[in-house]
Amino acid sequence: MRRNLFRVIAGGVAAFLVATSALAHHGAASIYDMSRETTLKATVTEYVWTNPHVEVGVSTSGGTTTELLLELGSPPNIRNRGWTSRTVKPGDVVTVTFHPGLRGMKIGVIMKLVTPDGKELRA
Amino acid sequence: MIRHLVALSTAAVLTAAACSKPPAAPAAPAHPNLSGSWVRPLGDRDVGGLPPVNEIPLTPWAAAKFKAERPAAGDNQNFADTTDPSLKYADPNGYPRISLHPMRFKLVQTDDYVYQLWEYNNNWRQIALNVPQDPDPALTWYGNPVGKWEGDTLVVDSVGYKDSTWLDARGLPHTTDLHLVERIHKVGENLAFDITFEDKGAFTKPWTAQLIFKPSPDGSMTENIYTISDELRFRERFLNQKATIPIRR
Repeated sequence: MRRNLFRVIAGGVAAFLVATSALAHHGAASIYDMSRETTLKATVTEYVWTNPHVEVGVSTSGGTTTELLLELGSPPNIRNRGWTSRTVKPGDVVTVTFHPGLRGMKIGVIMKLVTPDGKELRA
Repeated sequence: MIRHLVALSTAAVLTAAACSKPPAAPAAPAHPNLSGSWVRPLGDRDVGGLPPVNEIPLTPWAAAKFKAERPAAGDNQNFADTTDPSLKYADPNGYPRISLHPMRFKLVQTDDYVYQLWEYNNNWRQIALNVPQDPDPALTWYGNPVGKWEGDTLVVDSVGYKDSTWLDARGLPHTTDLHLVERIHKVGENLAFDITFEDKGAFTKPWTAQLIFKPSPDGSMTENIYTISDELRFRERFLNQKATIPIRR
């Protein structure tokens, strides 16, 4: 009982932290479906360390063309959470969880990403 | 002869030792040292921030202006067609909006000034100490802050703000009559900014907010300059919005 209660509380805290960081993105709720989460394994096609938000292009078919464009926070913001300008590079296979774009747009806002060496980073 | 010389030398050493004072203990600093790197924790609401808008005593003018804005955050957000001056024109954030980002700022404290250096857009403000407020300051993005110490608290009085900035990303308006009084002090290891907002054009009465910052273990600051080209490029890539001017890479 106590363990289940702990899981519920821990889950709630984790959801709060994810929601808080994702909401820091400008216009997130008017661009992305914040009620949905998608997780997929994909190949990085581009990683652009830029303002206003760092961009991660991925391909789900293993190609080199960006099929889905994902955003992170701004560089200093995500640097506080362990990201650097060299966290991933084109060709890396990652597992990424994101809120997908509204209206079928091939975009998303990243919630977390697991690098090829198994390191999990939150956005 | 040698015995006399030794006796004289010993006496000289003893005399010198008796005359020298023990090293004085370092004087306690007159004021706390607020210098250092500070960062806003994630989750504004659990650590203090600007209150919900319905708790802010807006004048009818301010309420109408707030309602008409299209911010990129908050309940009325419309990122694609925003009126946010910091996104639409890459205007400086103004104050205190710039301190609401979860990014670092650095305080550099001298005898005459306290400098606040924000990582966001490499903006900064200078707080002049122990000087009177300018009765007719030029209007600027970050106002004319003057400060003085009251015990362990740095009290900062500022006026002279351009009215084109928002107080936060939700679109909270103000006029050129904005007058801020900030009480900056340590709370444990954290730093608190207790801010009183006065603006007879925007608020029916003064109201307060507290911003809390924690020490940043990594004191380095990155260059983080955000330009209109950055915004146009983002919109082009993520929203398929065609830029109306050439984007500089």
